[in-house]
Amino acid sequence: MLSDYNRNSYSSSRLLFGGVDMVALGIYIAIAVIGVLCVTSASYDPNTTNIFSMEHNYIKQLMWIGISWAMGTVVLLLDRRLFHMFAYPAYAFGILLLLAVLLFGKEINGAKAWFQFGSVRLQPVEFVKITTALMMARVMSDYAFNLNRLIDLIKVAAIILVPFIIIVLQNDTGSGLVLGAFLFVLYREGLTKYVYFPILFTIVLFIAAMMFSPVVIFVVLLFAFVLYSILRVGEVAGHVRFIAAVFLVALLLSLLTPLSGYVSLMIACGISAIALIVVALKTHTMMLLWPILMFVYAMVFVPTTDFLFSKLEPHQKNRILTFVGLVDDPKNTGYNVNQSQIAIGSGGMWGKGYMEGTQIQYDYVPEKHTDFIFCIVGEEWGFVGCCVVVALYIGLMLRLMRMGERIKEPFGRVYCYSVAAILLIHVMVNIGMTIGLMPVMGIPLPLMSYGGSSFVAFTLLIMIAIRLDASTSENDIYS
Amino acid sequence: MDRGYVRYRILRLIVLLVGAVILIRLFTMQILSDEYDVKATNNIVRTEIEYPMRGEVLDRRGEYLVKSRVCYDVMVVYRQLPEEGFDTLRLASILEITPEYLEKQLKKARQSPRAAILVTNYLSQENKLLLDEGNFIGFHTRFRTAREYPRKIGGNLLGYVSEVTREQVDKWDYYESGDYIGVGGVESAYETLLRGEKGVSYRIYDSHGAVQGAYKDGEDDALPVKGAQLTSTIDARLQEFAEELMEGKIGALVAIEPSSGEILAMVSSPSYNPDLMVGRNRNNNYASMLHDQRQPQFNRAVKAKYLPGSTFKLVQGLIGLQEGVLRSSQKYPCDMGYSYGRRKMACHAHNSPLDLRDAVAHSCNAYFCYVFRDMITNSKYGSVKEGVRVWNEYVYSFGFGRQLGTDLYGEGKGYVPTPEYYDRVYNNSWNWGSVLSCAIGQGELGCTPLQMANLAAIVANRGYYYIPHIIKHIEGRDSIDRKFYERHYTLVDSINFVPIVEGMWRGVNVAGTSGKARLEGLDVCGKTGTAENSGGADHSTFLSFAPKDNPKIAISVYIEHGGFGAAIALPIASLIEELYLTDTIKRPQMVEEVLNFKPNYSRNYDLKQQRYDEKRKSKK
Repeated sequence: MLSDYNRNSYSSSRLLFGGVDMVALGIYIAIAVIGVLCVTSASYDPNTTNIFSMEHNYIKQLMWIGISWAMGTVVLLLDRRLFHMFAYPAYAFGILLLLAVLLFGKEINGAKAWFQFGSVRLQPVEFVKITTALMMARVMSDYAFNLNRLIDLIKVAAIILVPFIIIVLQNDTGSGLVLGAFLFVLYREGLTKYVYFPILFTIVLFIAAMMFSPVVIFVVLLFAFVLYSILRVGEVAGHVRFIAAVFLVALLLSLLTPLSGYVSLMIACGISAIALIVVALKTHTMMLLWPILMFVYAMVFVPTTDFLFSKLEPHQKNRILTFVGLVDDPKNTGYNVNQSQIAIGSGGMWGKGYMEGTQIQYDYVPEKHTDFIFCIVGEEWGFVGCCVVVALYIGLMLRLMRMGERIKEPFGRVYCYSVAAILLIHVMVNIGMTIGLMPVMGIPLPLMSYGGSSFVAFTLLIMIAIRLDASTSENDIYS
Repeated sequence: MDRGYVRYRILRLIVLLVGAVILIRLFTMQILSDEYDVKATNNIVRTEIEYPMRGEVLDRRGEYLVKSRVCYDVMVVYRQLPEEGFDTLRLASILEITPEYLEKQLKKARQSPRAAILVTNYLSQENKLLLDEGNFIGFHTRFRTAREYPRKIGGNLLGYVSEVTREQVDKWDYYESGDYIGVGGVESAYETLLRGEKGVSYRIYDSHGAVQGAYKDGEDDALPVKGAQLTSTIDARLQEFAEELMEGKIGALVAIEPSSGEILAMVSSPSYNPDLMVGRNRNNNYASMLHDQRQPQFNRAVKAKYLPGSTFKLVQGLIGLQEGVLRSSQKYPCDMGYSYGRRKMACHAHNSPLDLRDAVAHSCNAYFCYVFRDMITNSKYGSVKEGVRVWNEYVYSFGFGRQLGTDLYGEGKGYVPTPEYYDRVYNNSWNWGSVLSCAIGQGELGCTPLQMANLAAIVANRGYYYIPHIIKHIEGRDSIDRKFYERHYTLVDSINFVPIVEGMWRGVNVAGTSGKARLEGLDVCGKTGTAENSGGADHSTFLSFAPKDNPKIAISVYIEHGGFGAAIALPIASLIEELYLTDTIKRPQMVEEVLNFKPNYSRNYDLKQQRYDEKRKSKK
């Protein structure tokens, strides 16, 4: 492989780029360049007198890129053991920053997630992604760490949940959900797949709970369960009788008591679920126990969600409802997404040309230089441009995963996977949002969205991964 | 393979899957679907209509009957209004509306904040300048034209301009909501010529509502094309005089130039000042006209079905001569009427017996009863029914009972009773006696004033007519419709008109019912009519042309409940002829007499109005 060849040729002399993965670095630079072009297109003003004025977003972004690259160079020069050493203090510092911003931060768009120093804004959560990734790598690379041991699992959970909770308290749920990326890493590190089924099931139930009334969900689940049971047990009559009994109880309850049909059915389902658990335990038909538990879980989860949903902030509620398609409101919540889809969808195969996108240039896409920067790719460079950008991101993720695999010790592997996973979540949610596949969450497109914190953080995140990978080859040679 | 590697491959697959889902979605949005292209264009492009100047109408001498005046619609885009507010009182005073009305309109505009919403219309040019000076952000004006009527005449004749209705927008591609369209009269009949062509420009707007340039560099844009100027056949001075004379009377007047079919004047009375149908008070004025039981907006001149009365005797005489049942020298006795069976058609006192000329001059009822009876009972037709059928054909050839095909809007057909009609009414059992009242223009006949004027023109031309029309020239065209240049002959030979014309001349100039219409040296020919009706006093009508040879004007005047033909219809017609032929009025006492003549409508129209008003009041 070309890259492997490069690695070896550079590693013989430990220069700045010695052992550096040129593919990853190349993709990183490519995305950054495309990003600056997009920010320029989004904020270029043809009437400006001084195109290099610090007023312009693209000049600011270039400045941030300069700063980032200086920092990235420093990272590449550091000894890899430093990252290992500083994982704990860095994590602690990150948590402190989060707490500080919760207390003293500036509120923007409803989220109290920013420090303001003069004209410069910093969003600590971007850096917490790095410290958390390092912390995860540190803990999970400990000798005798075993994910399938409860105490270690709790440790890991705590590392993720502490920043998550603080971020949610900042009212920046979107950024918080990025920490879900670590589930990806944990899977690679051997966490049992049975953790993922309930998570997936919960997500499906959540979306269903938004779209349908609980009683519909219960009836569907009930029939799904009975169907599963019939297939497994191979007997029909008993199941039909069971279903009949559930509905009969529900009917009697609704007729004889002042309860509504809906509540009656829920009670009937509840009784039947308990009965089934007892039967399953008694007859040792353990294969039915899981589906029964899932059913019971759904019975608890769906009404709870309904209740919790009613407690959400109106703008969050609207975002979710719009995403699920229950609210069609192109003037308000849906406006951004609607305009962004129009911009991207009208790009066609080759796009309208750089700086020629009508929706972008005539200001129809809000937040076009930050969260909706992908619209510029979509409208001005068309499907071809989108393919290139998406391919670059996917390529970078795959490359990072490959690097992780290549690093023989867990610290580097966990870290690289963390970076890949964080990128994945960002790209998936951000691009997904611009094309209407995801609800609107204010998280940036890595390396492209305008914003210093984000660019610096992603640069450091990736550079550390590259540095760790380069070190490995070093070790290979010298050890 | 160790478990870690398997999981690496699974995770790799998940990453690729995410990429694939994104790209598939992008592919459907960008390549497969046109939806977003359309929406993108709709987002940025706004169509701006530029209204053309509506065509103007001149009278036959080149004087303006209808002018177009520049005015402006005032529009607001709510989103562009300054947040700190603006001087609403001053704006309201410039727009000449109340501050409350302005508030109401702004509230309406808030419903669709990005669209340009009409605040008020008919803003004058001066006030538009004030508005521009005031620099009210968020407001802009739209060029329109309003109608103006220098002489304030020809309400029903000219029609008016109004905003298109929903149905009209649905029916025709050209119109969009807010456009103007001609209603009634010339405005309606010549709408496609008068309106011109709307101009259109497609402009690119940014999301803040600022213009960013022309869409596609303006290649789809079009400039407005001014509407065509029409030259009318109307003589404005004559029209004004006629409307003045008809003031206070209900009825109609139509004057035609026989040698061309050009309508010189046409009045439907009561008329209205056409200026009432322009401007902001339009709706109120329109509503009050709607409640007026004299129906000022009903164009009697072309729509009303009037009993022709004795003027119809001309037609009867002509048919008799043509069918050979009458010779002009034939005399019939008249003993104060014509008796048949136990019934009698009464007549007034005059010498007896009379020949055809004097029967026309004296308007003898009995004479034409003989003529009509002889005609329809003639054995050559086999039956009365067939006789009436032949009679029908003759009457149709004079333009009765059908549309003449004029360029007048809403032309009525009138009514000529057919054998089928009598079959139905008399249950198949009727004879010549049942039909006889038609002999003297009574009974079931219904003629429009236009048809009666056309009859005058036919007699003046001795047997043919040109289709009456009101527009003689269209700007940019060499000629009008060629049907207006064709002679339309009746079924009666020219030679048979001679004794009838003679009779009409004698009636005016020698001895007869029309003596008052005599004008020295002008050889006026005329025929009075007095139509009996159940609604009150007789209708007064007069049919005339002058001079006898080379006639210049043919006229019909019909005044509802005006009494004898000679009482009011005759002087009006005579004065119009005098003005048209001599350019002066030498009989001021006759003008005075006409102006002071007020028919009594208390038993019909006034009563109706009273009942109507009471009904409305009780409804409220």
